[in-house]
Amino acid sequence: MKNIVIGQYVPGDGFLYRLDPRTKLIAVIILMVAVFLLETIIELVVAFGLVILLLIAGKISIVRVAKGLKPLFVLLLFTFFFQILFNKEGTLLVEEILSLNPGNLGLGLLLTVLWRLLARFGKFKTILLFLWIAGIYCLLRYVAIAPQWTTFSLQIHEKGIEMSVFVVIRLLIIISLSTIMTLTTKPTDLTQGLEKLMRPLKVIGIKSDDFALIISISLRYIPTILDEANKIMAAQASRGADFSEGGLKEKIKQVISLLVPMFIIAFKRSEELADAMESRNFVPGKKRTRIHELSFGWKDAVTSVVILLCLAASITLKVIG
Amino acid sequence: MGIRFREVSYHYPQNHLQFHQAIEKISFQVSAKGEFIALVGHTGSGKSTLAQHMNALIFPTEGSVEIFGHSVTRKRNRKIRYNDLRKHVGLVFQFPEYQLFEETVEKDIIFGPLNYKVPLDEAKTIALKTLAQVGLDESYLNRNPFNLSGGEKKRVSIAGILALDPDILVLDEPTSGLDPEGKRVLMDLFQSIQFETDKTIVIITHDMDLVYQYTSRVLVMNQGKLVFDGTPEKLFRTAPLTEYQLSMPETIKVLQAINERLGLSIDIYQKTAEAAIQAIKEAVRQ
Repeated sequence: MKNIVIGQYVPGDGFLYRLDPRTKLIAVIILMVAVFLLETIIELVVAFGLVILLLIAGKISIVRVAKGLKPLFVLLLFTFFFQILFNKEGTLLVEEILSLNPGNLGLGLLLTVLWRLLARFGKFKTILLFLWIAGIYCLLRYVAIAPQWTTFSLQIHEKGIEMSVFVVIRLLIIISLSTIMTLTTKPTDLTQGLEKLMRPLKVIGIKSDDFALIISISLRYIPTILDEANKIMAAQASRGADFSEGGLKEKIKQVISLLVPMFIIAFKRSEELADAMESRNFVPGKKRTRIHELSFGWKDAVTSVVILLCLAASITLKVIG
Repeated sequence: MGIRFREVSYHYPQNHLQFHQAIEKISFQVSAKGEFIALVGHTGSGKSTLAQHMNALIFPTEGSVEIFGHSVTRKRNRKIRYNDLRKHVGLVFQFPEYQLFEETVEKDIIFGPLNYKVPLDEAKTIALKTLAQVGLDESYLNRNPFNLSGGEKKRVSIAGILALDPDILVLDEPTSGLDPEGKRVLMDLFQSIQFETDKTIVIITHDMDLVYQYTSRVLVMNQGKLVFDGTPEKLFRTAPLTEYQLSMPETIKVLQAINERLGLSIDIYQKTAEAAIQAIKEAVRQ
């Protein structure tokens, strides 16, 4: 089981891999603050360029980061359109009168059905989505059959376009930064880093080592539990449980047949783990040593200085601007 | 009818979570009636992967598995209801914890039949019958399966599969975790089930004594390949066991040692401990 790593971590040997996780955690936080201080698109584009330079210098494939961005594509798209449509500042660029009437409602429904049918084939899903949006727009704009139920105007302002680009680039930078961190840091190292960073919080009663232990045990057991879930599914499938067919009532029954053994096995495992830990003299709250102690080297020092310079630069820009 | 493997290979996906052995170009046949087969092999030789092909839980990467006239290949065929194939071939997993989930034994046993739309009364009759088949009386019907002992849980889980009335029963290490007496009782049970119903039974096991004593045919897996298919007699008399990473049954080992130490010539191929003792007594008398 030693090859399993949950999360996005990809083994590699760039300089980012050799940094202390604490440095990376703090660097990401500081860089995010620095990015939020920037106020013009040009500054953001420069910052984005720097992030790409960082990727190249750290020998991380840009394709992989782009893949990490994929699930957030919808969020980016939503932010983009939201800003364009609802930001009413600056000069008016486009104004269109849209209307809703029986004609385009019917055609719109037809278009939607067609879109869902085509989407079933599974190819060109994104293109189909855009075609659908464009189609709906055209219908609202050009099909005008009486009686008009309501009309509304679509306005696009200069500031809206500017802000949408601005917000999207900012989001891109922030997501890329955190992706870089998770790509280059093992989850276990990350939790250890978090533990060390949160140690001062002991004063207000937060036990960072307990917290870190909880996270590392959970991460360790995800593959085990998944493996077990597969076996339980196979065992119930052997008794004719069909997880894809059947009505709601049968489905609920079949999900229960999966969940009950899952919980029982998970509880049993956790008890066994607790026994095993205790028999190796684990006492909750007692101080423990580590196999791999984190070490803060000259690379971390250099990185910290560079990061602080970045922060200083963006503060200066903010003050001057 | 039955199951026919044709050049079946299976490779787990590269980043798959499980660490199982792939299997390579396996061909053999299991008939639907009256066979008692042992599937043996070293840990990680691909036995469980092979067993899961028998009821279409996993699909071969290459080749095809013909299960009761339906050909299972890499591609899913919409015309085949894979769920129905599983009614013909029942697979009992190693740990009963993977399948027991209801609050009573009866409810747990009828889960399978109800999935195949057997009416409730009929399913209850079946539950009673299969419970008797695995050697438990009707007082168990209303007990909670989680309060049973390990051996009893195992029997209930076997009853849960037997309730589907499969033609072929595949059991993944049914005797693991039992004491020698418990193993014997369970194997006697399989033998009687096979005798009464003429089902084909396939057991996966590590216990060579049980293989030699009970089964009529042995399939040996080694590093993902099927290296032997024949009677246990032939396996233990002629096959290169060390090459297969297997060992001799204990009775044969003991008799062999006695022969060597004392310079006797007892027939070492005795199937049961009783027969071995008898042979030793005879040698002593002479």
